Amino acid sequence: MEMKKLSMDDMKGSFLVKGTTAWYLNTLRRLIINNVPTLAIEDVTFIENSSALYDEIIAHRLGLVPLVTDETYVDQEKCKCKGAGCAHCTLQFTLNKIGPCTVYAEDLVSKDPKVKAVYPKMPIVKLLEGQSLKIEAVAVMSHGKDHIKHTPGLFYYQQYPTFKIKEHKNAKKCVDVCPKKILELKGNKLKVVDETKCNLCMACVDECPEAIEVKGSETDFIVNVESWGQLTVKQILTEAVRVFDDELDDLAQEVNKIK
Amino acid sequence: MSCGKPIAHLWEEFNKRVNEGEEVKKVLDDLGLERFCCRTVFISHVDLIDEVAKFKKS
Ligand code: SF4
Ligand SMILES: [Zn+2]
Repeated sequence: MEMKKLSMDDMKGSFLVKGTTAWYLNTLRRLIINNVPTLAIEDVTFIENSSALYDEIIAHRLGLVPLVTDETYVDQEKCKCKGAGCAHCTLQFTLNKIGPCTVYAEDLVSKDPKVKAVYPKMPIVKLLEGQSLKIEAVAVMSHGKDHIKHTPGLFYYQQYPTFKIKEHKNAKKCVDVCPKKILELKGNKLKVVDETKCNLCMACVDECPEAIEVKGSETDFIVNVESWGQLTVKQILTEAVRVFDDELDDLAQEVNKIK
Repeated sequence: MSCGKPIAHLWEEFNKRVNEGEEVKKVLDDLGLERFCCRTVFISHVDLIDEVAKFKKS
């Protein structure tokens, strides 16, 4: 397998992966959705809530706030506390606001200065004059198969397009029909400008089947990773591979036990 | 179906710019909302909390 970076920053990455299969990439996708742990608010205690929203709605909204996840926290399932909740897998937050104001995600204050809301300006609720919100919350390190709020990002891929330009006379039509505008006429010859942008819609083939042939590769893929902010793109990928590694180690141990 | 991208922090800017008369398409593009699942949330959302907050919860 060979991986080439097309573009990458902390929030978004695009790669060309050669010599792999769709099921292999799908395994990675499912690991990222289900198994990469992040921090998210799980339990909320309401001391005072005279806002327009019910306790349950505010608790739900707080749960969905992405938190910057420090990698020193461990997945509660694998923590030494065996799921009881300790300083290694949970973190306390408080929030105290008196109206009139809008309560934002940034108003969540934790004991660990490294952990805070990824997007400070996410509105939680609006408070009018005389309304107030006072809560205590506990964030838990867990994974997406427990609740989607823990999922660190989005992973999607497509087959790498391969083009075959054939002898042709008038290919102007298929240049116009391409939604990604990646086909060009040079003199009378059809040219592909940036093949990584092709989404295999086949509109060009429908228009001029005599001029162009497009096929998705079975072994080469364009892979896109988007982070929701808790972890960086690099962290998401390395963590997914690490989790998979651990699971395979577990399996190997079980297999070794068989006599 | 939705991709799950967090977008709440963009709502206030979207609302402000659209109310000032900017074209919805341009604002959505500027905010980096490419997929239709993100875009539809903003296009179709009606903010009611200012009205609802005046009444007592039961
Ligand atoms: S398959 Fe679609 S995106 Fe790709 S070149 Fe043809 S028209 Fe353009
Ligand atoms: Zn623990």
